[in-house]
Amino acid sequence: MSFRARILIGLGLIVLLPLAVFELRVRADMAGRLTAEYQRRVASLVAVIRADLSRDSAGTAARLDALKDAIAADNRFRLAALQGADRAYLLDYAGNAMRVTGLAMLQVQDDQGRIISSGHFRNEYDRVEPELPRLLAAAPGGMALVETRTAEASLLALARADSLRLGGRRLTLVGGVAVDSGFLARLAPDSDLAVSLALPTDTPTRVDSAAQVVSALAVPFVDLRDAPSLGEARIVVTHSLAPLAALRRRVDAAFAAAVLLTGAIALLLASWLSNWISRPLRELARRTAEIDMERLDVAFESDRADEIGALSRLLGAMTQRLRAGAARLREAERRIAVGDLARQVNHDIKNGLIPIRNVFRHLLEAARGEPDRLAAALRDRQGTIESGISYLENLATNYARLYPQPAREPCDVNAAVRETIRRVSDASRGELKSVLADALPAVRTDPLVLRRILENLIGNALDSLASPGGTVIVGTTRGAGGDGDSSVVRITVADTGRGMSREELNRAFDDFYTTKPDGTGLGLSIVRRLVLDANGALRVETAPGAGSTFIVELPGEAE
Amino acid sequence: MIRAHHQVLLVGMLVVAACRGAAPRAELPPLAPALAHADTACLIAAGRPASRDTVTIALTEPVDPAHAPLPRNVAERFLFAQLYETLIHVDCQGRVLPALAGSWEQGAAGRWTVTLRSDARFWDGAPVTARDVLTAWRARDSSLAQSIAVLDERALSIDPSGRSFQRFADPALAVTKSAPGGGWPIGTGQYWTTGAAGGADALWASPMAGAGLPALKVTVAPASEARDAVDANVDLLLTSDPAALEYGRTRPQYQDALLEWDHTYVLFAPEASGLELGALRLESLPQAVHVEARAAQVNDGGLWLADLKRCDVAAAAAPTLAPPRRRIVYEQADRDARDLAARLVGLAALGRGAVVAGLAPPAFETAFRGGAEAAYVLRVRRRTVDPCAAARELPAWVPRGSVTPLIDTRTHALVRRGLPRLSVDWDGAVRLVPR
Repeated sequence: MSFRARILIGLGLIVLLPLAVFELRVRADMAGRLTAEYQRRVASLVAVIRADLSRDSAGTAARLDALKDAIAADNRFRLAALQGADRAYLLDYAGNAMRVTGLAMLQVQDDQGRIISSGHFRNEYDRVEPELPRLLAAAPGGMALVETRTAEASLLALARADSLRLGGRRLTLVGGVAVDSGFLARLAPDSDLAVSLALPTDTPTRVDSAAQVVSALAVPFVDLRDAPSLGEARIVVTHSLAPLAALRRRVDAAFAAAVLLTGAIALLLASWLSNWISRPLRELARRTAEIDMERLDVAFESDRADEIGALSRLLGAMTQRLRAGAARLREAERRIAVGDLARQVNHDIKNGLIPIRNVFRHLLEAARGEPDRLAAALRDRQGTIESGISYLENLATNYARLYPQPAREPCDVNAAVRETIRRVSDASRGELKSVLADALPAVRTDPLVLRRILENLIGNALDSLASPGGTVIVGTTRGAGGDGDSSVVRITVADTGRGMSREELNRAFDDFYTTKPDGTGLGLSIVRRLVLDANGALRVETAPGAGSTFIVELPGEAE
Repeated sequence: MIRAHHQVLLVGMLVVAACRGAAPRAELPPLAPALAHADTACLIAAGRPASRDTVTIALTEPVDPAHAPLPRNVAERFLFAQLYETLIHVDCQGRVLPALAGSWEQGAAGRWTVTLRSDARFWDGAPVTARDVLTAWRARDSSLAQSIAVLDERALSIDPSGRSFQRFADPALAVTKSAPGGGWPIGTGQYWTTGAAGGADALWASPMAGAGLPALKVTVAPASEARDAVDANVDLLLTSDPAALEYGRTRPQYQDALLEWDHTYVLFAPEASGLELGALRLESLPQAVHVEARAAQVNDGGLWLADLKRCDVAAAAAPTLAPPRRRIVYEQADRDARDLAARLVGLAALGRGAVVAGLAPPAFETAFRGGAEAAYVLRVRRRTVDPCAAARELPAWVPRGSVTPLIDTRTHALVRRGLPRLSVDWDGAVRLVPR
């Protein structure tokens, strides 16, 4: 697994795991608190309903009491109820009284339990129903839910009974308020709370405690339908948990959004961080991979103050040491080669001189013993001498051809640059500028080598220009050496040409690699060798379309 | 009140024939002589006709010109009786009086020949011809129209087969013609009008020239406001509201004229309804309503529904009935029908758990035709000149079901003393009598 992947996964876990834990905790806490709150509200509402029922019962009792007084004072009612006169008045009495008192149920029964006037069902008169007041009297608090009927439908009322004596007869009043959907709706203070009524005759319904909070209030119930009896109805208060579920969904959605957003941010952050960390490492790795004995000019410069900067500088110092070591190695090799060559030359020269020395000994012997034969001897041996000389001449020529020994001498880089520019300047190939620093230290190298380096780099730069409008800038600057004490002369050749890709750059210094139709592929390779031979360094900064800058650093002479 | 569909349904043909006694006979009745001024048998007011220029009338039911000339409630019955004219009138004693027809006779072939009154005119002044009569009838009773031949401008020949002459007193056979632009049809009665009544506006009906009648100012208000009309000293109030009548009787300038028991509430029950009324105390039903009522009397020769068997009405067309719903339905605007239905439920006519249900007129008619309810409470006219024709208009299930008359009701006329002469027809219609 890559370093970058590890950073991504690690950062993701660091961010997402706490969020998930936080969300679960919030959901659980929220559910607990809201459920408790709902239970409290349901319990409160049950208490309120109990108080409301008591108040309604008391109100009904007060109205029945007032009605008793009215009946006692109503002679027309008295005549109708006791003597049978004005039956229509009696039949309509309960209906009129019901409207005046605001009751929804009102029944007047005689002492036989016969209905003599009914407000909620006018034409049920003469029906005998003595059980109702008896059951109401037996109900706790004298109040009960009564399921009676009207002409059109059944009527559920919260009723109570009262009685009065009229002309020696006992009349019973049964009155109540309607317990309908409006009554139940009034009991529920808001839409989250629902109040329903469960009668003993209803089919039991399953209560889903996971979906609602439930509490019930028992109320006496009188069922008049078949066998009149006193039972128990329940006023059921429920609080839907739908708001909680909705809140959970909203919280989940918010957390999902937070997780997504945070994840995205973490991903971007991790990507940036991993890239920020790994990119210089990858660059260091890439540069390190370029290092070999032939390419010890890889730059490891860095202005970073962190560990990577330090590592980069260490690698730079290491490559500098490697370059010095390589130079020394090459020098040693050269010395070895020179020694071998010297011994070869010594051998070869001795081989060439031996015949000549023998001729001279012969000639000396002739001169001392037979001076007159000197000329003849010389003539005899002239061929040997000439052959030896010729051999030596050939030998010298051949050795001279083996390796041109650079003539290291202090060179003025700026002068070399100016001379080279003057020599290769060609307006048709592009504009050639120079930006030269003053007071540059001299570099110790062969002027011819320096000239070849400059000619190759400037020539390549001009060749890279895509059009005559391009520019090549040759600059010189003074820099510090890798040890901090020495100085280097930095030569930059920057062009505005097409630049190089990574692949092209990797092969730019290979022998015989060229992108020019008539190129030999040796220019940069020679430059590299020449720079390394001069104990210098060469690096390139380039990008496709952005031109290339070749930077040559040569050790400066101590001042 | 009688709703439109009741008229169509039951008696579009309910014709006034006689107040008392037997139903009108089939043979041609004699031409009654003009009633003497002293004949007050059918008068409910006998003041001098010229004593008033305007008579104010208060009605407690709506009046719709679109219903003319066939009335659908007491208010329309009164007003249409002034505006439209049939060939004959039948007074409260069953006497046939000339109206649009001035004379009639029976020819040798048995056909009736009716001669129109020579001075009969439409409101627009056009004379009424025999062809006008034929045109008006053709639109309402095509079979009747086919039995008629126009003899001349004023004479009609009528095939009497199966008909009662009193049928020509049926308001449905009033002679009218359409008015340009709609509104009130143009009639031949003693009054004409183009107005409308309702709310605070009064309808004015003007007497035809030479009629010798005062103008009519008719106001229509709900029954609950009938006492306001009394306070406003209205000349005639037609109502059955007990509070208004009681209030009016306290005012010395008014007299309460009882009109005939002209309506009967009937309980129709399909055969499968399981309705059992035998054990119920139906005599308590009059107490269940808020109008003057009595237990229905069927043996006075009145209610035509009492005996449908004589009509040999086929019951084969009865629909296939599902078990009826346990409810008694009524037309929701009829409070008395509601009271009766409620009383029947209170008496457990259908057992415990039955209910009543008020239906809007279209729904009620559909339900009545369908016969899917346990029972129907309906108000019908007590008499018709052609009971069998009316019976044939009933839903097919009725002959197989039960028809139980419940109560009879009637309307009162609260009449201001000194009012011009008012007579009552056989059907209870109140009519101003010209001098």
